[in-house]
Amino acid sequence: MERIAIIGGGGTAAALAHDLILRGFSVAIYERGEFFSGATGRHHGLLHSGARYAVHDPEAARECIEENMILRRLVPQAMEQNEGLFVALDDEDMAYRQRLKDACAATGIPTRDYTPEQARHLEPGLADGVLAAMQVPDATFDAWRLALPFLATARAGGATAHNFTEVIGIDVQGGAVRGLRLRSLAEDAHGARGREWSAPADMVVNAAGAWAGKVAALAGVHVPIQPGPGVLVAIEGRVTNMVINRMRKASEGDIIVPQRRLSVLGTSMWLTDDPDHLDIPPEHVQRMVRLCSEMVPACAGAVIRSAWSAARPLIGNADATRPQEISRTFDCYDHGTRDNVSGLLSIIGGKGMTLRAMAEKTADIICRLTGRDAPCRTRETPLLPARAFYRS
Amino acid sequence: MSDAEKTVPESADAAAPESAPERQAPRTLTVRVHRCGPGGANARFDDFRLPVRPEDSVLDVLDRIRVETDPTLVYRHSCHHSSCGTCAMRINGRERLACITRMLALGTDVVTLEPLRALPLLGDLMVDMRPMFAHIGDDWGYVRPVEKASTGVPHGVARYTRLENCIECGACMSACPVSSGTDDMPPPEARRGGHEAPAQAAPGADVADAPQERMFMGPAPLAALNRELARHPEQREALLHIGKGPQGEKHCRRHLACSRACPSGVYPAKDIMDIRMMHGGGKD
Repeated sequence: MERIAIIGGGGTAAALAHDLILRGFSVAIYERGEFFSGATGRHHGLLHSGARYAVHDPEAARECIEENMILRRLVPQAMEQNEGLFVALDDEDMAYRQRLKDACAATGIPTRDYTPEQARHLEPGLADGVLAAMQVPDATFDAWRLALPFLATARAGGATAHNFTEVIGIDVQGGAVRGLRLRSLAEDAHGARGREWSAPADMVVNAAGAWAGKVAALAGVHVPIQPGPGVLVAIEGRVTNMVINRMRKASEGDIIVPQRRLSVLGTSMWLTDDPDHLDIPPEHVQRMVRLCSEMVPACAGAVIRSAWSAARPLIGNADATRPQEISRTFDCYDHGTRDNVSGLLSIIGGKGMTLRAMAEKTADIICRLTGRDAPCRTRETPLLPARAFYRS
Repeated sequence: MSDAEKTVPESADAAAPESAPERQAPRTLTVRVHRCGPGGANARFDDFRLPVRPEDSVLDVLDRIRVETDPTLVYRHSCHHSSCGTCAMRINGRERLACITRMLALGTDVVTLEPLRALPLLGDLMVDMRPMFAHIGDDWGYVRPVEKASTGVPHGVARYTRLENCIECGACMSACPVSSGTDDMPPPEARRGGHEAPAQAAPGADVADAPQERMFMGPAPLAALNRELARHPEQREALLHIGKGPQGEKHCRRHLACSRACPSGVYPAKDIMDIRMMHGGGKD
């Protein structure tokens, strides 16, 4: 049984471990912090319909709607399946409306039009000036409880998962990976920290998200990762039942994701080389509240419960003139063919909700490279409940 | 600030002049952090002095200490907005979520961070949540329908739904004097309904000393149980058998600390009283 070591303990790693266990591999995850403490836990929790990407990033839109439908089935207990609305507030939004409808139709995203009166009957908190609205199959999910079932199921199937364990080296000999050099960050029973050890592996997958560049450098290879942080704001009180999107091209402050008794407002975006130091500029917080209050005025007066940053693991694109133009799709790199380091893969890009699809693509490549003929089974295999994580 | 320099204003809105709030000057504080190994071995406090801005949460400050000063600092965190329930800890002696607690709002020059009580220590600020989840069914639901909607519902939605407000963070477990073994209330003269008196650990005693099978399961599992009762009335007998069992509601002494500590607006003490008042479970 080939031993696959996964670097990073985010949603992609959890879904990949689950997929690989089902295909008969031996799997170990290494994460330097708590599981899901990077971008996986920190996004707005929107189960995208894909409409946000349909016009400018149709590949990402198709990934979203397909995974949307799969995850609704696999992890219903992590979701509020209350649908979403795109709302038009000005002439520019109205001009975008037909493009959006056409692009949704082309990418398989179902839509339904509402008059302003109908929209305000659904959501009385919408601004008076709403000119048109369109329903899309958005939903809200609990980021922690969407990812945890994948990890729980993988562990129940025999995967090992090590948090607070930092990868400090990738052992490459004769052009092939042999294993990982690891360091434990937590204190042991003897009062020591930083114990180091080696774990052999037949293949290593770099699934470190925004940190994938730093991990790849351990093996002397490069991946085109571009961390793209953004600020999100959670306000007290639920301003709507449904997810609310601004009917215009992807920009800032164009989404309100209600969840429990909160509403999450997002998102700004900038680019950085350092995903460890994420600033939360107060002017971004103010801007998110102001822009979202154009859609739902109650956002403006609400108490801010939390403001935070998360680093999207973007695939770098020097041609993009705005960060929002960088595709949100994902890709898997085989460093054997790219860099003559066989047995090393990097999975980068993607979104929190495309974790299963990212895992499928990566596991397909691992099967091809190892000559194992095992189809993906994660679309239909039931997942354990999130709480089962605490049984193992 | 390289991040700020690389900010790309992109929309007309972003480029419009924003009445940018003045970034207030930071204050230098001492953060006193509990450190230990597994089981609480070698427990001690480490002090970190660093500048803190008004908008900084306790979690922001912990992240900065970990990234800039001590990468071995062990604490749990994920969502940073009070949804996941991983970052509950004792902050200046009270159970709070690190992500929504503003450091300067605490008003002390020294801020003391300790792990939750009532749960085994794994290291530094991290506890083992398994004993709490041992009493919450894996298959108990986490989503419920909205009682009644005051608005219309969109096409394809029969009723709006909500994730449970309980984020299973463990704050109530730690705050409860019974489950944390810090109860200094005199033992009751007689127990309601002739129930056997629960095993009470002496104040300050290690809760692990009490016999497992007679220890209180704690407020969070009983709150979850009451919600499951509402979801599945047909399972009432089996659920009440747990809720009124040897580790159940009978241990509760109405301190109400659980409800006061909850960062999510759940009132576990009310759930516990609901269970206490119900008939069934083979006890009444």
